[in-house]
Amino acid sequence: MTRDRLGPRAAWLLIAPAVLVLLALNVFPTLYALDISTYYWRLAGLQPPRFIGLRNYENLLGDDRFLNSIWVSAQFVVMAAAIEITLGTGLAFVFNSRLPGLATLRKISLLPVMLMPLVTGLVWFYMFNENFGVVNWLVSLVIGHRVAFLTTPNLALLTLVIADAWQWTPFVMLVVYAALQALPEYVFEAARMDGLSEWQIFWRVTMPLLRPVIFVVLVIRVVDALRMIELVFMMTKGGPGGYTEVTPWYLYVTGFTSLNLGYAAAMAVLMIAIVSLLSQFLVRRLAAGED
Amino acid sequence: MSNDLANKAALPMARSRGRALLCYVIAFLFAVYCIFPFYIVITTALKNDREIFAWPPVWLFHATLANFYDALFVFGGQGAGTFILNSIITTGASTVLSLVLGSMAAYGLARFRFRGRRQLAFWILSTRFAPPIAFVVPMYLMVLQLNLLDTHIALILIYTSMNLSLVIWLLRGFFAEIPIEIEEAALVDGYTRIQIFWRIAVPLVQPGIITAGVLVSIFSWNEFLFASVLTQTNAQTLPVYLSGFSNAMGMAWGQYMAVGVIALLPISAVAFILQRYLVRGLTFGAVR
Repeated sequence: MTRDRLGPRAAWLLIAPAVLVLLALNVFPTLYALDISTYYWRLAGLQPPRFIGLRNYENLLGDDRFLNSIWVSAQFVVMAAAIEITLGTGLAFVFNSRLPGLATLRKISLLPVMLMPLVTGLVWFYMFNENFGVVNWLVSLVIGHRVAFLTTPNLALLTLVIADAWQWTPFVMLVVYAALQALPEYVFEAARMDGLSEWQIFWRVTMPLLRPVIFVVLVIRVVDALRMIELVFMMTKGGPGGYTEVTPWYLYVTGFTSLNLGYAAAMAVLMIAIVSLLSQFLVRRLAAGED
Repeated sequence: MSNDLANKAALPMARSRGRALLCYVIAFLFAVYCIFPFYIVITTALKNDREIFAWPPVWLFHATLANFYDALFVFGGQGAGTFILNSIITTGASTVLSLVLGSMAAYGLARFRFRGRRQLAFWILSTRFAPPIAFVVPMYLMVLQLNLLDTHIALILIYTSMNLSLVIWLLRGFFAEIPIEIEEAALVDGYTRIQIFWRIAVPLVQPGIITAGVLVSIFSWNEFLFASVLTQTNAQTLPVYLSGFSNAMGMAWGQYMAVGVIALLPISAVAFILQRYLVRGLTFGAVR
């Protein structure tokens, strides 16, 4: 192999620009957030930022609004990921049955993945509207009256979950479908020759083979659902009464409505820590698969 | 036997007519469910206000382009024109930049051996998971101190950094698949490594570059958070224009849906053109 013929110099020449961009716009902001989080730093005030050590973090732990936002985020992430993974996997099997015409339906089903999340929020906001939304119209046909989805405490979060699941279930479906298509045929042939029934093959052969892929999409979905802010922005603004106030939304409001940058940065640091921890699972798995 | 193999991984389905029918019904309902909100966006954009606020919802209506006219030229003083232009500028520039820097790095990682190569690749991957919301505060202060608030360049650089991990990971796989003999032959012919990269390797991974380019431009086109925080009047992009809607609660559904239609135009191309490499792109090469 010529891989190392010209040595590392050419390699670094090729890699350095990208690495510099990432150092400047990924590593530096992380460190800077850490720094900002140790200050009382208000954008509105005229006083300079004041160093307060870990006070912001102490305050966060006693901040009911922050703790509530974590609880809301957790609910949102668990519900959204559970629905997306379950439905998406099931649908992958449906689309994997080789019938003419399914390919076209599959391609159509992928459109939501690419939609601007703000537009997703806009259209679901419109459809859930109590006075003229089509979802409410359908609901009223079934149960006889309209439902104030967006302003009823427990339903509001559910509307966000539904919108998120609409957008991302097709993504899960596509990935699991691709994995199904790539499974080696001889495995199934052997299982069949061993006399396993179809259900046994499904549970003992297919599912174990799919597990790594499902794990990968699960981590991607959890990490991405944790950062979701667009749907809240368009549909509920964190209301009613904080019932849909996910952590990203609280951070956004703290930073850019209350202009309390130090406090927002402390939240940011905690978020980065949690997400890095989660994504480590994924990176480990991929690294293991590389060898 | 071949028929049997065709069903290899499938659930015990599609064996009988009944099961096939069930598959069709489920797949059809799911496709309708996926497409329905698009139908709502497009039809609402074509309705007049009376029809938009009608109860029960009107299914038959006289289509009008008035909302599009308002959205493009009238609304908010000047319409969405500037916003669209800004979106095109930031999306285009950040896509080109991340493709150039990303393909170079991907080639470097795929074709050279040096210490820490794997660690570097996985560190680059981990940047994909950085939650943008957590970077908004430090980025805001950085951009403020560099005097780059409300400029295209700030957004272009930030989007480039967000997109690099995807480009690098996707193309690294594509470069690695090129038979090494081709490049060895070129080396013998006297090409330099950089010439091999530009003249031979890059053209060979064209499908990968197109896939990465389309995905990356969609992410940039859709990005809302940084655009909303870092721009005011000069460099505002389409999502920022759309987000203004929720300040005007329920006022102008038709016009905003018209902007929504404009926002979703570029994506329709993707779902159909890109099928083949979409999975690979969206999972960073983890699933092929």
